[in-house]
Amino acid sequence: MAELQGDLRLNSKTLAVDTPKVRRRAARKPVLVVIQPYLYLLPAILAIGIWIYRPLLQTIELSFFEWNMLPTAPRTFVGLRNYAQLFALPDMSRAFANTVVYMLGILPMSVLIPMIIAIVTDDIGRRARTIYRAMIFLPMIIAPVVVAVVWRWIFHPTNGILNTMLELMNVIQEPLRFFSDSNLAIWVIIFITGWKLIGFSTLIFSAALSNINREYIEAAQIDGASRVQIIRFILVPLLSPTILFMIMLTLLFASQWTFAYINVLTQGGPLSATTNIYFLLWNYGFRTFSVGWSSAAATVFFIGFSVIALLFIKLSNRLAFYDN
Amino acid sequence: MTTISNAPVPASKLPRRIPYFSHALLIFLSFLAVFPIYWMIITSLRPAGEIYSPSPIPSEITLEHYVRAWTAIPLGRMMLNTVVTAISQTVFQLLTSILAAFAFAAWSFRGRSILYALLALTWLVPFQAIMIPNYILLTQMGWRNTLWGLIVPNIGSAFAILLLFQSFKSFPKDLMDAARIDGASNWGILWRVVFPNLRASVASLGVLLFISSWNDYFWPLLVTSRPENSTVQIGLQAFMSSDMNLWGPLMAAATIASLPVLLVYLLLQRQVIDSFVKSGLR
Repeated sequence: MAELQGDLRLNSKTLAVDTPKVRRRAARKPVLVVIQPYLYLLPAILAIGIWIYRPLLQTIELSFFEWNMLPTAPRTFVGLRNYAQLFALPDMSRAFANTVVYMLGILPMSVLIPMIIAIVTDDIGRRARTIYRAMIFLPMIIAPVVVAVVWRWIFHPTNGILNTMLELMNVIQEPLRFFSDSNLAIWVIIFITGWKLIGFSTLIFSAALSNINREYIEAAQIDGASRVQIIRFILVPLLSPTILFMIMLTLLFASQWTFAYINVLTQGGPLSATTNIYFLLWNYGFRTFSVGWSSAAATVFFIGFSVIALLFIKLSNRLAFYDN
Repeated sequence: MTTISNAPVPASKLPRRIPYFSHALLIFLSFLAVFPIYWMIITSLRPAGEIYSPSPIPSEITLEHYVRAWTAIPLGRMMLNTVVTAISQTVFQLLTSILAAFAFAAWSFRGRSILYALLALTWLVPFQAIMIPNYILLTQMGWRNTLWGLIVPNIGSAFAILLLFQSFKSFPKDLMDAARIDGASNWGILWRVVFPNLRASVASLGVLLFISSWNDYFWPLLVTSRPENSTVQIGLQAFMSSDMNLWGPLMAAATIASLPVLLVYLLLQRQVIDSFVKSGLR
């Protein structure tokens, strides 16, 4: 409240009033001045409250019920039953395992390879860098649906350019059925997700790299450090905040990034080979109308991912090496 | 953490030799990034007879696929929906976040840190954890398959507030105080002192919001069930699932759906990249 008094001076109406009256004004603040910050915040808070936090609470509530989303159908309270049978739900263990595969599959393309590329290509001149930047960033701004449609065309089993080229070069005898081969499909989705991310990640690492003080590297070179030693003992530790951040981003968002490709390209198939937890939630909610299952699973995954995020923030506070 | 391009050239590397390996690596990466987009555009311009040809350059350029795509699905209608939705979302999100960011930057008030934390935590809430209650509310409001349903729920963006707050925070307090002494109201300070000085960051945020709103898939998927009432992303998906072998028209529709974003990127690629990277570095 002390700060509020200071801010009273800021109101235009009170500006005209001179010092002797200050104490009286402080005693009863005009209502408008007190609520002013809240008025500025109101539109945003209202929108976010109604469309993010209200539904979040309602999802938690719905997780204790059995309901098929029809307004006329009864909501039956089932207590913790939806949670108890969570991993026995159809496809759940498969979706969970796939989600881990997605996370681990995307990590090299969102963290390891971009970091290596950023480090290796740090010697590129400025003008060439601008051109490369513009090109490798391009996938990031293309809509996921467009990305899915285009890769479906490139990966088309009989007419797609990839199979055509592979056959011309005699790499394969029979066309690869990228989306209908249950061993292949999940890796195709991982590749597409990685394709969209890899340039963006490279630029993030490259930006982080350019913030590192060059004197460390020069000092190490004078001391006779090899290139590998410089990377291992100087660059990687100094990049660790970015590395941790990108790992966290990948773990938290892998399932959301892949959702669009799964929904457009494979619908979770063949035989649930590409389904993941969020696609399953979507199926429970809008295909089989099992609101309780979807909500219970959503609640568990929300809490799980929040814990992961918390751990990463703790970890990066502890591990991070700060330059200056 | 600022821009990428201002990396100083290490003194040890002068006399420069050409970094062939780096160029090769980056050319490969650039090819990988650009080829699918190139292939989309080229397929859309090829004559129907050579649609399956692996040649990277078509024998002639034709717009027949565009004509077909335009008549096969209500592309014009969907593009209009998307333009209206993306522009309104961007404008409203900018407005609400300018106001909110100013409130956080200009005042200390009760509940400030809690409200800020609640905004910062929204990125942990996945779309799939809130979709069912939102779907129910949309249905109750009669907003399914309407532009209202596409726009109104997205007038606030926590991400935009947090990003703007970073630039508002660094705005010199002395300038605000000087304006106050001159008798300016808070409203006047925001729009006549702070805003004109931060126009560049607001503009680059606006571009970011426009692109993500244009490309949004989740929300239109929830709100709309009919392509003619939806955005072009949903229409494209519907087109793909309905006619599996119309690759030429499909690529034409995909090109049209990407055109505004590609245009923005061509004109402003430096700002676009910088604001994406900056928001990712946070």
